[in-house]
Formats: sequence, structure tokens, C-alpha cells
Amino acid sequence: MSESGINRRFFLKLLGATGAAAGCSPLHAPEKLIPLLNPPENLVPGKPLFYRTACRACAAGCGVTARTREGRVIKLEGNPDDPISGGALCAKGQAELQTLYSPTRLRGPLVRKGSVLVPVSWPEAMQLLQESFVKLRAGPRGPEGLGLGVRLLTRCEPGSAGAVQRLFLTGLGAKAVQRVVYEPRDLAPLRAANAALFGAAELPVIDLTRARSVVSFGADFLETWLSPVELARSFMGGRGASDRARLTWVGPRLSMTSANADSWLRVGPGGELPVALALLRFLLEPANGVTGLPAEAPAILALLPQVDAASSGVSMEEIAKLGRELVARRPSALLGPGVLATGMGSGSGSGSGPGSTLGGTPDATALAAVVQLANWALGNLGTTVKLGLGSEEDAPSPPAETLALLEQARRGEISALVVHRADPVGTLPLSAGAEEALRRVPLLIYFGEQLDETAKLAHFVLPDHHALESFGDVSPRRGMVQLQQPAMTPLWDTKPASQVLLDLSAALALPGVAEKDFHELARKRSLAAAATLGFAQLESVQAQRDLLARGTAFAKTEPLPRPLRLAGVAQLFARLPTKIAAPSAQGGLSLVRFPTTLAASDPAAPGWLREIPDALTGVSWSSWAELSPAAALRLGVRDGEWISLSTSAGTAELPALINSTLHDAAVALPHDAPELRVLEGAAVQASVQVSRTGRAAALPVTGRASQEGRPLARSVPDAEAHPHPHPHPHPHEEGPGHDHPHQQPGRGAPEHESGGSLIPLHEHPNHRWAMSIDLDRCTGCQACVVACYAENNLPVVGPQAARDGRTMAWLRIQRSIEPKAAAQASLVSPSRVEETRIAVLPSLCQQCDAAPCEPVCPTYATYHTAEGLNAQVYNRCIGTRYCANNCPYDARVFNWQDHVFEEPLQLQLNPDVSARSKGVMEKCTFCVQRIRLAEHTAKDERRSVREGEVTPACVQTCPAQALVFGDSKDLAQRVSVNQRDARAYRLLEEVNTQPAIAYLARRTRGDE
Amino acid sequence: MIAETPAAPSHPEAHATIAMPTAVPIAVQMAEIEDTVHATQGHLGPGWLLLLAAAAACIGIGAYSWSLIIRFGMQYTGLNRPVGWGVLITDFVFWVGIAHSGTLISAVLFLFRARFRTAVYRAAEAMTVFGVMTAGLFPIIHLGRPWYAFWILPYPNQRTLQINYRSPLVWDAFAISTYFCVSLMFLLAGLMPDAAALRDRTQGLRRRFYAVFAMGWRGTAEEWRHHGRAYLFFAAFATPLVISVHSVVSWDFAVSIVPGWHSTLFPPYFVAGAILSGVAMVITLLVPIRRALKLTAIITMKHLDLLSRLVILTSLILTFSYSTEFILALRAGHSPELETLLYRATGAFAPFFWTMVVCNCLLPMLLFFPRVRGSQAGLLFVCIFVNVGMWLERFNIVVSSLEHNRIPFDWGSYHPRLAELGITLGSFGWFFFWFLLFLRLLPSVSIAELKEETAGEHVEKNEVAHAA
Repeated sequence: MSESGINRRFFLKLLGATGAAAGCSPLHAPEKLIPLLNPPENLVPGKPLFYRTACRACAAGCGVTARTREGRVIKLEGNPDDPISGGALCAKGQAELQTLYSPTRLRGPLVRKGSVLVPVSWPEAMQLLQESFVKLRAGPRGPEGLGLGVRLLTRCEPGSAGAVQRLFLTGLGAKAVQRVVYEPRDLAPLRAANAALFGAAELPVIDLTRARSVVSFGADFLETWLSPVELARSFMGGRGASDRARLTWVGPRLSMTSANADSWLRVGPGGELPVALALLRFLLEPANGVTGLPAEAPAILALLPQVDAASSGVSMEEIAKLGRELVARRPSALLGPGVLATGMGSGSGSGSGPGSTLGGTPDATALAAVVQLANWALGNLGTTVKLGLGSEEDAPSPPAETLALLEQARRGEISALVVHRADPVGTLPLSAGAEEALRRVPLLIYFGEQLDETAKLAHFVLPDHHALESFGDVSPRRGMVQLQQPAMTPLWDTKPASQVLLDLSAALALPGVAEKDFHELARKRSLAAAATLGFAQLESVQAQRDLLARGTAFAKTEPLPRPLRLAGVAQLFARLPTKIAAPSAQGGLSLVRFPTTLAASDPAAPGWLREIPDALTGVSWSSWAELSPAAALRLGVRDGEWISLSTSAGTAELPALINSTLHDAAVALPHDAPELRVLEGAAVQASVQVSRTGRAAALPVTGRASQEGRPLARSVPDAEAHPHPHPHPHPHEEGPGHDHPHQQPGRGAPEHESGGSLIPLHEHPNHRWAMSIDLDRCTGCQACVVACYAENNLPVVGPQAARDGRTMAWLRIQRSIEPKAAAQASLVSPSRVEETRIAVLPSLCQQCDAAPCEPVCPTYATYHTAEGLNAQVYNRCIGTRYCANNCPYDARVFNWQDHVFEEPLQLQLNPDVSARSKGVMEKCTFCVQRIRLAEHTAKDERRSVREGEVTPACVQTCPAQALVFGDSKDLAQRVSVNQRDARAYRLLEEVNTQPAIAYLARRTRGDE
Repeated sequence: MIAETPAAPSHPEAHATIAMPTAVPIAVQMAEIEDTVHATQGHLGPGWLLLLAAAAACIGIGAYSWSLIIRFGMQYTGLNRPVGWGVLITDFVFWVGIAHSGTLISAVLFLFRARFRTAVYRAAEAMTVFGVMTAGLFPIIHLGRPWYAFWILPYPNQRTLQINYRSPLVWDAFAISTYFCVSLMFLLAGLMPDAAALRDRTQGLRRRFYAVFAMGWRGTAEEWRHHGRAYLFFAAFATPLVISVHSVVSWDFAVSIVPGWHSTLFPPYFVAGAILSGVAMVITLLVPIRRALKLTAIITMKHLDLLSRLVILTSLILTFSYSTEFILALRAGHSPELETLLYRATGAFAPFFWTMVVCNCLLPMLLFFPRVRGSQAGLLFVCIFVNVGMWLERFNIVVSSLEHNRIPFDWGSYHPRLAELGITLGSFGWFFFWFLLFLRLLPSVSIAELKEETAGEHVEKNEVAHAA
């Protein structure tokens, strides 16, 4: 041993030393995302957790389900137990995720020191806030004046948050009027009309499930109006059947809602009122012999002003025809006015003042009143238009109150203003002077999420929790409460506004504020509300949890009888001239605002809403001004150049877009265009002067609104469509040339009918996943597109890439707006919707059986799965783009660059969907991750996948339920039945790709 | 005309000879040929260096442009949702076309014993090899992830992943690499005796350089016999490739179902187009080369005349193909095919289309006039425009078909961006860089075959004299 130089003793020393060294490894302890000891409750990595909560994106108050993974919300879907959303969710609701993860969200409290806002800690902010109030109390007005000088401007908070605000104000000694509820999108005219006619300033609850005829006076009820998800479901629920509800659109422009209309009364701007009035007069006129009129009908008729219907551009015959249809097809529903029609006509001259842009013009109110009277005359009240169901809490204040508050501020009468999630500076017209007024407020406290225009003026900017991070409750209507609970821990150093108010009340020892904890207050309040709705035994913790897990509590609530007040009618119409005519814009064009389901124009909107192109114009990332072809020709404006618009209030430059469905006398802007704040002002109906600037604009427009006569989005006349399966359907509108032998779509049982091909089709031993898309139901709302973005981690690429045609959408709504006589397409504006072929076509990968993309891929990156999907293996893709070239549906999307998800937007990414790098092709696979999840679950439970267990994101969120997904091998499934429907056809049958998606042709009314 | 030329070796005009007084002994004639060819390299002075530098600079621009795409993705191209292929694929097809005529001239005409090829085939063959070298880059350059380009080859791998033999892109990889190998072997085989001759005339580094290409050539009868056999074998092997390579390239388009691509006409149409562009390129290169290298005595106007007849023939075939495409589409009635073709002729790239028609169908007809054919300027003018026209033809086929695919909603437009144009410039730089090096370093006319021909004539004359 001694030769090697190591003896036993030395060996043991060495052993000990190395052992000790190994024990003190310099590597630091591994960090675990989820600690295995004491993991958070219920958190299993890889398994989603669902939380039910409420959507606060608009006033509709849908219930939502938040899917969370590893502690982060990754997707929002509707709450299937909630009667409003019915499990669906609109584009804006889903985009709430991106407001949660917004990179520009406030990350901690800011306090104004000198002229700048400085980040401070919450204790410091609270200390300073308390000192400010103590100072106020000691000020010239003293403790008495404190209450009087403090005002609160808030968004509509029909729940605990509103209750806390009221508690706080009462504690200060303020009166109720000192709280102003500011909702710029509120349907104030309808509220005012209901107040005048029925004595309650409320919004109706509309139920279109039974309506057989619907007339909309500019009410975009499938986009933003009242409760779009609920209305889309109830209206579209009856579509597809042969006796379907008819929709008549009255307005100067075709919006997305009107793309679903059967006929269009094309009125000039402000022409809705004369048409509505003429219609009402027709219904009430005894000579027309309308039966079933209420007893007060003659009295009402006597109160109505005369009308010059022809001034609106619609003939009396057409109105009479509509009247007869409404009488014949009961129950019906008349809806209006909407954004398009509000802020119109100031025939009486009293519609001045900036408040009119908030929808408070007498004309809009009169239109709302006429519409409601027609509903009343037709007996729709209580059946389709339900009164007495509006939220009992927190009705938005009339717009005049907001203006009065600003006026007070300007006069220096406000000593402190609390602003809660309202941005008057950024949303009111510039002529309202909100900025200048708020600068005079000595103490401006702002609660919100973003440093918006109002927050920039504030002395205290106190970031609020996002709705997905906070407790609360919302009562969107009588007899219902939506429970709000956090779906994840707050991202930033934020605090619920209500908690801040409670803390402040405690610090100031305000009387009457007993509760210290907002969560506790909200819990008690919502439990109490649930108890009144008949939810008994809520004492046990389990029952409370169950209620929270359900997310909503409601009871069947009957509408209240609202007798018509003749005096109110008289008073309302007394303000109008004795003869109503459509206004004419003197020497210019009338400004028309139109709603959009997304928010391409709104610079503050989240990326999804800005990038996904508008359904009917294809514009993204920009605001724009629309002109009719005739107006553009007259002014010499070319499509896509900058034009200058000027009104008496101001001048703004916008890119022009020529819209063949717009009335010649109008210039139309999306309602969230920031330029509207400049243009709208003193008088609403101001004529707009349009002039060319000569500069070309690069407006990002996706796609062309034309099918070039190819039978892509098809329609069948009502008479022809047979409700029973038919061996040889002829859904083709177009004549010969496209008359290809029709493949019987329901290829379920005999799998191989080979379709005339030499190569046998694929075997699908277990499933053949398939979809049907009912074009009669699809509204074009793009909720599915947003769902696809959210589910599949699609990146937002920005305006330049959008201009270059490089947006990443897997699912797109393809539009086509074509006059039927295509020859004069650019010059002749159609006057009725029958003359315009307007169609939307949801387009996604058709999962072809004989897919052209598959054979051309050199590396098998795309291949056919045993379940009929055209799978794409991102890791195997080398980016030849051959598959995309060869796809006749253009369904494949290439990654032109590496995409960046700006912090913290990456937290939204779905961990089940792999990331794609630059140079890789990607595509829709019917949400294969969801299919796999369902299959694995089924396998664990030793059964096969049931119908309805797999729903791709687009299908899940469709409010109109136009998309149906399932296994076409099972002939009993809805999708198989739909695929064999008489209206079913495949896209581009002539290329024999054997798609898995069947489209059901749209029905057009067959009686004309 | 063209068909009878190779079949008529007895025709005195078809012979390529150096005008020599018959009194000069045959050994001296041989030496003169060797001298003339060897001297060519000395004629390349500063102008050559300048051109080489320019070519290298172009390669630099191309490399930088590609580096942008590699680093930041294909956003540096003008490609978008409907148009997945653009200038890069156009370049690919163009260069494959250029690479075409070399083999045609060296192999097919060799088999047909068309003796006029002797003077021009070496340059054409070199052009072929460099053309394939250029073309072969584009399938890699245009990939979204070029670093995985080797996945297109069937190499054994531990995951037992296969390539998709149904994909025309795989066929492409095989066709192009086969064509490259064969044309390179063919070039090297022909070069061997010449390199040996030059090796024996030079010293030092040059000698060692030529030694590599000579591959130990000693000139024994056995070697000549083997060489002759090998050369014939390669010629026979390369001949079908002339047809197959461009047919396979055309299948990239014809196998797809894109209107404007999906046509059985494509393989012959592409082959004819390739020969047209290849021959035009040969003429474009030979006209300046024969002057710069003082080879006017070896590459005569007669050779150019015969090549230009080939241009006329292929141009007529191409014109026929263009018409057939339209007639077939018209017969199909109101179809996406017809709409795509009409779009090609009237749409955004209509100027390109009509320029193409002028360059490929009308201008070559000028060559019917002996005066045009006989003037170097006339030839150069027509052939350069044929090259422009052929590039535009590929561009029209690739881009306009994709712009107007089957879904009108997606009809879009494609505008090439700087990076793509930079890569195109780089490809010309790359091609000319090698070609210029070739001119400087290797014999651009086959010494051995010229000698063989001269000797053959000598024997013929002697036989005639004896008979007399």
C-alpha cells in the first residue's frame, strides 16, 4: 500500500473531506414553481381550476367562468348557469383578460407631490389621504361643509361597491345627489322615455325568444346594445328554422347587427324618428283596422305630432308593409334607439349642449318613446319587452348631472372629488371642458386601473383591483345577483377601492360605517340578496361555497305592470314640433356614429380588440371615417386617403373608407373614435364639412369584402329550404358552372365512398371530429375569434403587420358586401338590404379528409390524425410555406417573426398550447388540446367521449350557437344531423378536399 | 434548321476550326490551340479584378440580407397571408433554368455529335454547375427555419423520422442534388486532360492547382479509352436529367391545386423555358467572353448563330405553351383558373406579364433575321431581354397565382422588399464570382476536344489527299 502513497488513515481522511464537500454543495437550493410541501390548496399542476365571477366590461352584467392554471387566469368563458350569458361571452368580455394583464396597468399608488405623481406605499398614501380630509374638515367650510363639498363620480356599480360609496358619502354628511353615476354608453334616451311614459327611469329587459318580427331603429342589439350576448342568443335561437324571426333594420348605415336583417329601411341620418312615428301612426290609425289595440290608442293618436315620412327617404308603402307584418307576426319587438340613432336630429333646436352626445337629445328620447309606444300598441310589453326588471340599484345619472358636476367644479364649489373608474376627461367631448374643470378641484382622488386622462389630473391615484382579482357582487337586474370572487391573487400592489373607502371612513371615524372589511361586507350583502331570492339555508359554509361556485343567484321574476301615463306622453310630445321631418344637414354631411363589437379605434383598448378586424369593414388599429360612394365621388375622396372633417366644434383628420351601405348624406365614425370628442360638441346634428387633404393613409384593412360571384357564403330562399334531410340539396344560388356533383355530407357510417378519388380516404377508427356552422345564426360578432386568440396563444402583431397582411388569426370572419347587381358596385348605393348581398363567413381550417396541405409538406410536419384532424407539428416544421400556398381556404398562418408578449401579458398564455417560433406554420386544430383533455378524462373513466364534452374555444363562446362541434361518426350527434341538413354544403366542393366542416346556408325570406 | 445541324457534320460551315494555313504542321497547330487557351488567363487584367470585387460585394449584400431574415424572420420579405412564395422562389426557378442549357449543350449535343458544341460547351458547363450552385441555395434561403434545411433529406435518425416522399419539395431536393453531382462530374471529367496539359506547362502553385484537377492524368492510350467511355456514359446519364430536373421543378407548382399552377402543361413548358433562358444566358456570357479572352478565332460567330437558332425554337415552344394555357382555361369556362390568368394579364403585375410576352415571344423572333443573328450587339440585346423575360415569367407564375387563390376575401398583393432584392443581387454576385474565377483559373474552352477535332480534320484531309 505504501507504494501508492495512500495509507488507510489518509484514505479515511479523504473520504471524510469529500463527503463533507459534497454535503456543502455550492449549488443553491432548487426553486420550485409550486412547492411540493404545503402546496396551495386545490392546485394540481397541469389541471385547470375554474372560478365563477362576474364580467364588468359593460353594463349587461354577464356571469363568467375564469379558467386558471397554476394560479393565473388564462381564459374567460361565460357562466352556463347564468341566464344572461348562458355560457357564452362576447369579444369585449373575453378581452377583460388583457385589461387584467395590461402592461400599462397601475402597479401601485401614486400621490401628487408638486406637479408630478410620485409612487408611494399604501400606508403613506392612506396617511396622506387622511391628512387631506382632516385638512378639508378644518378648512373654511368646516366639518359641515366637508360633506357638501365632496362629490363622487363613479361608473355604474350596482352592488356592494356602490353601497360602500354611498356609505362613505353619507358618513361625510353628503346627500345622495352628490354621487353621480357616469356611464357614457348608457341608453339614456330609452331610460328617459320610460320615465316619461311609464314613470320609471329604467331599461327594459328584452327577450326575443318568442319574437317573430323584430324591428331595430339603429339598436345594435347583437353588438353593444343593452345585453348583446343575451339578445344574440335569444334572437338567433330561433334562426335556422324555416319560420324564423324577421329582422327589419331602420338606419342610415348597415352595422353588423343589420347584416343579419332581412330587410332594410334605408333612412337618412335622423330619419328613424319620422319612420317610427309614421309606423306608430299606422298602427294606431283606426282606418287601418289593427286589432287588439289598447283602449287608450285613440287618445295617444291624438297626442302624436304629424309626420312627413317621405323626408326620411322611405315611402309610406314600405312603412305600411312593415306595419302589416308587425300586426301579422306577433309577438314582435321594436328596439331602439341605439348608438347609431342617438345623438341625432335636433329639429327642435333644444338639443344643444355637450350633453347631447351622451344621448340625451329630445329627439332620441322621442324616438325611444315612439318605439316603446309601438311596443305598447302591439302588446309586446311584458312578453318581449319587459319592464320593471331593471336593476334597482345605481341607475346611471342623466347626462346633465355629469355636466352640472363639471360646472360646479369650474366654479370651484367642489372641495374634493372622488372618481371611481370613470374617465370624463378622456371620454367627454372636448367642448365639455372636463379637463379644465377638474384642474380646479383642490382634491381629486382617482380609483382605477390605468393612468388615463382623468388620473393624470388627480392628486391621489389609487389603483383598484381588477374585477378578476376582487370580491364583490353585481345586480344587473331585479331578481338576480352575480357573485364576484377573485380568480387569482392581485398582480400588483393594488387595493380594492371600496376597501380604501372603508379604511378612510374608519380613519376619519365617519358615522354609520360599521363594517371594516369589504370582503365581509360584500359577502353579507350578496348572501342577503340571495336569501331574498329564495336561496335558503345559506348559513352553512358549504352552502355559501356552493353559491359562490355557481356564481349567480336568481329567481324567476315577473315583469311589473307599467300602466301608460297619458300625461307623460303629452308632456314628452309637447316639446316636439307639430310636424316631424327628417333633418337635413345644411351644406354638409351628417355625423353618424356606429357601434363596433371590437375596438379598433380606441387607443386604450386591449390588443385583441384593436387587432381583430372589424366585422364589416375589416379595419384594425385605427379609427376611420366612412363615406358613401356617391358622397366620395362628389367630394373627390378616394378610398384610404386622409380626409379632414370639421364641425363647429373642431376639426379632425381621419382615414377615409368608402362604405357602399352608408347613406349619401352621412359621414360615419365608429363610436369609440377619439376624433369624435373633437367633432362633437355644441350641437350634435352639426353638419360636417369634409375636405380632402391629398395625403394617402395606410389604413390596415384585412380582406376584401367580395366573393367575386363565387358561391362561398351561400343562402337559400326560405321556401326552398326544406326542414327534412333531402337527398339532393341545391343550396347553390348561382347557376351552372358550379353545379358539381354534391357529396352527401354525412359521411358517418360508410366511411369510404372514395368520392371519385383513386386514393382511398383516411380511416377514422374512433372519431371523426367535425363542425357545422349555421350561417343563418352567425352574427359576425367575432367572439369566436377572440376566444381563439385567447385559447391558442395567438400573438397580437400590431398595425404595421396588419397592413402587411400578417395577422395571425386562425379563425376569421370573412365578409362580403356586394350589391346584387355587381356591375354598378361602386357607384350605386343599394336602398334595401335585399339588394345588397351581405354575408359573413367564419373561416377556419376545414380539417379536410383529402387535405391539399398534407402531401406537399416535405417533413410530415402536417399530417392526418386518426381522428380526422390536419395536425401540425410545430417542431417538425421548417417553414417552406408550401402547405399555406396549397390550402384553398387560406387557413394556414405563418410566423413571420418571433412574437413578443409584453410583460405581464405572457401570464395569460395557455400552457397547454405550445409556443411557435418564427419561421413556423401554424393553424387551427379544433383546439386539439381540449379534445385530448376530454379523451384522457374519458379514458380514465373507462368510457368513450360523450357528445358535448369537447368544445373548441370558438364553439364554446358563440352567443348565437351557430357553431356545433362533435363526432360525425356518431350519426345521432347534433353535428351529424346538421351535416345532413338540406342547407348543408361544403366550402369549395369542386376541389374535393372532403372538409369536416359543413356550412348551413343562410335563409333569406322567401315571400318576396 | 436546328434539327439538321447536328446531323450534318459534313456540312463545312458547321465545323469549328481555327483558320490556319494548311502548310502549318499538325503539331504546331496543336500547340497553338494550347497557347491560345492558356493565354486567355493572361488577358484578364484589372477589369477582371474589378468585376470579381463587384461580385464579392454583391455576395456580401446578399449575405447581409439573408442574415436579416435569419435573425428577424421572414418579415423582411414582402410575403404575406395569401402569397407565401415570391422573389426567392422566382430566383430558384430562374437559376435552375440557367443551369439547364449547359448540360443540354455538353451532353445532348455530344450524343448527337453536333460538333459546334466543342467550342462553347466548357463555358456552358461551368455555367450549369454554378447555376445549380446558385439555385440550390434558394430552397434553403426561402425556408422559415433554414437551419433545419437538412430535414428535407432522408438521413437516418434516432427518432426514425421519415421525409414525405409525396412532397414535390423532396423530389426537388433529389433532383437538384443529383443534377449538381452529375453536372459537376461531367465538368471535371472533361477538364481532366486539359488540366493535365496546363499542369505540364506551368510551375509552382499553379502546377499544383492543375494537378488536382488533372487527377494524375498521364495521357496514356488506356486513360484516353477510359476517359472516352466515361464521358459518353456521363453524357448518357445527364441527358434525361435535362428533362427531369426542370420537370420536377415544375411539379412544385403543377402538383399543387392553386389556380394558375395546377396544369399538366407545366413540365414541357418549364423545360422549354429553361432551355430558352439557359441558351440565352450562354450567349449573353459568350459574347463578352470571346472578346475579353481573345477567343474570337475559336468561338466564332457561326457558333453563336447556331445557338441563336436554338433560342428561336424554344421561344416558339414557349409561345405555344402560353397560348395553350389560355386556351385550356377558356375551355374550362368561368373558372378560378381563367380568372387567375386574366388577373395575370390585367392585374397589378400586368406590365410584368406583357414585358414577359414581348421578351420571350416577340424579341426572339428578331433572330430570324440573319443581320440580327450575325451582330454581337443584336444577339446580346435579344438574349439579355430573354433573360429578363424569363425571370418575369417565373415571377408571374409564382406571385400572381398566389395573389388570386380561391378565396376572394384573401386576394392580396405582394411587393418584394429590399432583403429579397438584396438576396437576388447576391445570387448574381455568387454566380459571377465563381464564373469569373473559372475564367481566370481553368481553361474556358476544351483544349483536348479542339485538338481532337483538328486532328480529325487533319486525318480527313490526309485521307482525301491520299485518295487523290
